[in-house]
Amino acid sequence: MDQLFVFIARQRAFIFFVALEVLSLWCFFKYNNYPSAVYFNTANYYAGQLLQWQASATQYMNLRAVNSGLAGENARLHGQLAQLQNQQLLGINYKADSAVASRFQTLVAKVINNTVDQRNNFLTIDKGTADGMQPGMGVISATGVVGKIKTCSQHFSVLTSVLHSENMVSSKIRRNGEIASARWEGVNPDEISLLYLSRYKSVKLGDTVVTSDLNSVFPGGVPVGYVQRLKPSTDGAFWDIKLRLATDFPNLAYVYVVNNRLKTEQERLEAEAKK
Amino acid sequence: MNTRNLLTIVFWSLLYVVLQVLLLRNLVLFHYGFCFVYVATILLLPFDVGAVVLLLLGFGVGFAVDIFYNTPGMHAAATVLMAYLRPLTLRLLTPQRGYEERNEPLIGEMGLGWFLTYISFMVFLHHAVVFFIEASNWNLWLPTLGKVLVSTLFTTTVITLLHYFRKS
Repeated sequence: MDQLFVFIARQRAFIFFVALEVLSLWCFFKYNNYPSAVYFNTANYYAGQLLQWQASATQYMNLRAVNSGLAGENARLHGQLAQLQNQQLLGINYKADSAVASRFQTLVAKVINNTVDQRNNFLTIDKGTADGMQPGMGVISATGVVGKIKTCSQHFSVLTSVLHSENMVSSKIRRNGEIASARWEGVNPDEISLLYLSRYKSVKLGDTVVTSDLNSVFPGGVPVGYVQRLKPSTDGAFWDIKLRLATDFPNLAYVYVVNNRLKTEQERLEAEAKK
Repeated sequence: MNTRNLLTIVFWSLLYVVLQVLLLRNLVLFHYGFCFVYVATILLLPFDVGAVVLLLLGFGVGFAVDIFYNTPGMHAAATVLMAYLRPLTLRLLTPQRGYEERNEPLIGEMGLGWFLTYISFMVFLHHAVVFFIEASNWNLWLPTLGKVLVSTLFTTTVITLLHYFRKS
């Protein structure tokens, strides 16, 4: 017994080392599975306060980029408004129920922390459960998709950015409605890949890719990116497509959180249908 | 170690961490060069700090940085490994006259050549762990290795420059 204690005393550094490594790696690899873990990230109250203070000190640095993004958004919205006012419902006799048509609500939030250079990138915004934020809500910017809320504290939320290896965005080509999935490859923060588009579907350089209507996180039609490189994949079955991201991630300042008010209803119904 | 020394060490340790969180977190060169200057907190501690204390400090500092990077455990794991290997590295790098009349791994006591070898080796080890855990994927080994090398150079330079502001 004595020898055991002597052994432990002599090897205590090694024992501490192994214990701390196991603890650290366990935290890291389990983190993505615990959406409620708000203490060990930037949704943490003190970290959030510090970042908010830092953001307010540096927010004037990228005003030019923010302004041009907002002006572009205004122009696009004016265009859509004019189009809607002149639109004649031709052919199909379809009218959305008002609850469905108005299911997406948006709320403005300020980005107080943002990374683009890690393998998995997160953003922190200054709105939390007190403002109705919930994990799973989609977030978009003036120019395109941004990400999905992962965890919320009372006043802050952390989102997984589109620049995160586990974020897939269901997308379609605006010109012809072909469906595909967009996912980031983990290297270049201006570029995202468009996967699973069959070699026999039409796609051209410069095509706009937007979110599809087949997801409950983002509204349909939000820009994801623009086709900038295009070649047949090595196995010949698909296109190998790279998109220039619509959202200027390094200069992100304000974002819109999208609340789909009918999301639970839709998901519950789909779950029931699967039984 | 007298009180004055201790205060200097505490002050500089806090400064490295604050600098990391508020300034260097947002400073990335060409998407490749990261600067994790906070490792200097562990690297520049006096020689007579015990192994267990080193490990606990490494874990604490690493985890504090992790909170701001949204990567709980990643920097902690790398810093703990670095803290564990510090005594072994120091033994390997023992100068001819030994460590006898020297207290701290600073340029003034050890010379610039020794300092650069020590810092760059430890920083390389730390960065390799950080970036390979982060990638979690061997397909990205080439860009990851690039990140490790560029960032090691960057961090070592910054630690060395800051060191000249530090009075030993």
